[in-house]
Amino acid sequence: MARLELNHLSKRYGDNAVVAGVTLDVADGEFLVLLGPSGCGKTTTLRMIAGFVEPSGGSAYIGGVDVTYLRPWRRNTGMVFQSYALFPHMTVAENVAFGLEMRKLSKTEVVARSREALRLVRLEGYADRLPRQLSGGQQQRVALARVLAIRPDVLLLDEPLSNLDAKLREEVRIEIRELQRQLGLTTIMVTHDQEEALIVADRLVVMSEGKIRQIGTQRDLYERPADRFVAGFVGRSTVLQGRVIAPGQFETAGGLALQCRDGAPGKAALVLRPERIALGVANGMDNRLSGTVEFVSYLGDAIELHVRLSPADRVVVQLANRGETTVPAVGDAVDIGWQRDAGLIFAE
Amino acid sequence: MNAERSSTLSAAGLVGPATLYVGIGLLVPLAILLRYSLNQFVPGKFMVDALTVENYVKFFTDGYYIAVLLRTVRIALITTIICLLMGFPLAYVLARTRTRYKTLLIMLVVLPLFIGNAVRAAGWMVAFGNKGVLNASLMGLGVVSEPLEIMFTEGAVIIGITAVNLPFMVLTLQSVIEGIDRSVEEAAFNLGATPLRMAYRVLFPLAMPGVLAGTILTFILAMNAYATPVLLGGPRFQMMGPLVYGQFVQQNNWPFGGAISFILMIATLVLTLAANMLVQRRYREAAV
Repeated sequence: MARLELNHLSKRYGDNAVVAGVTLDVADGEFLVLLGPSGCGKTTTLRMIAGFVEPSGGSAYIGGVDVTYLRPWRRNTGMVFQSYALFPHMTVAENVAFGLEMRKLSKTEVVARSREALRLVRLEGYADRLPRQLSGGQQQRVALARVLAIRPDVLLLDEPLSNLDAKLREEVRIEIRELQRQLGLTTIMVTHDQEEALIVADRLVVMSEGKIRQIGTQRDLYERPADRFVAGFVGRSTVLQGRVIAPGQFETAGGLALQCRDGAPGKAALVLRPERIALGVANGMDNRLSGTVEFVSYLGDAIELHVRLSPADRVVVQLANRGETTVPAVGDAVDIGWQRDAGLIFAE
Repeated sequence: MNAERSSTLSAAGLVGPATLYVGIGLLVPLAILLRYSLNQFVPGKFMVDALTVENYVKFFTDGYYIAVLLRTVRIALITTIICLLMGFPLAYVLARTRTRYKTLLIMLVVLPLFIGNAVRAAGWMVAFGNKGVLNASLMGLGVVSEPLEIMFTEGAVIIGITAVNLPFMVLTLQSVIEGIDRSVEEAAFNLGATPLRMAYRVLFPLAMPGVLAGTILTFILAMNAYATPVLLGGPRFQMMGPLVYGQFVQQNNWPFGGAISFILMIATLVLTLAANMLVQRRYREAAV
């Protein structure tokens, strides 16, 4: 349990900068999620924290100690791998005891701490099983117990849930979060799954092309995305291309005049959250438009309409499913509207 | 029913040719050889039909032959251990390298196999003989006054067999190590294991099927080596392979040759099985 600081940490392979200067300050006990598409450098960043990848530049501190070039076995990080990486020739108990034995603890302490770790993940009865005799979810919990046993300064989770089926994933992420909170573990998790990230994180870091695009809470990222990439990556969005013609005024490619937040005049994109667009209740809305429904998706808890506003403009509208008997059909004419502040302007 | 039958038939079709080939090409001659080994050899009369174990008794009561067997086992063990010690690190690097020249590196390991043992051993005779390239150079430079005794020693045979067998060991180990998830090694490092402890606790046990296969392969090859001991060991150096050949071709003593063949085969089999059982007990839970 310790604070983690990364200062301009970077990794280049030849001319290719996989991580281009990442600066982060993770508080003691904080759960931070690195979120981004594959190839964005999030896993390389995690591997540099664990010591598997030697940084090309910058520095890393764990609990105030410079670990930038420390060998993996000299730092006290606990990593849960995507593939779990359990030792297939050792029993569950032997797997969990491994890190404790490497620390040359007394036999009684090894046994006590292994048992404690297995209790935390509710696998007490499985000590003598081999990994291949366990289900995926159980293997995942053994991998977690194995690193909890060593009481790591920093817990590192590399896409820990991606090999679990959807239902189990929902349970396990809550479990991990509760354990992390209970033990006060400083945790970095890497994922490309934004839903997972939003559920477990204290703070999130959105990365792309080796750079941090934005650091913030769920609310920060959703309500005030720093750029078009973040807006597109966190939450659903629908985009209208066009230009800001004067402060607060936006003209779409199809010639629609809209009110928007302030933005510098010039080519820009207006990004809207589909659930912020209302259907029918045009009164009181800053922007009121009519269009034709072109596509309907019935998602269960929500219904999505693709509405054509002009030959060049189409938006996605998401309606909460409150049990209305009539749902617009393809070809129907509809009125839609949204408040000026619902639209985000990003210069292109 | 029909589908079941046709799948049985096609299985037979797949397994059949090789089985037939091994049956006719190996088992039948082996049976004949076994029968011969129980015959009597009467000088001048060649082979006389009989049912006697005197050929086997002759082998195990004559110190000379026992010495040949022990020497063969010793050399096979030594070369196998050297192959394992040198081969494992090399195989590990080959398995884990991410360079695009990997195929080339593997080709380099395989390359020696393109040259037959006899050709290679002949080359060494030229290089390491008393008047060979190495001794001529060393004496010409005044480093040594007498030529170094390299040829026709047990050392030369060990070097020779090791060189022949090393690629088999490396290739067997490499393919097994490649199948071990890299992140398992990283997990060990992450949990505080130094590279040596990782190798001992994780890599080596997981590579055990490859270690076993490579060891058995090189051991069998070494036990049965022929060209290398003949060419590098010289006329007075005997191992089991050349001994069998000598009995058949030079002495025309087929019954005794057959008996030596069987002793060699049984010795190889017993030692291999013993090693196998020992390892299985030690690494009973080794991974799939």
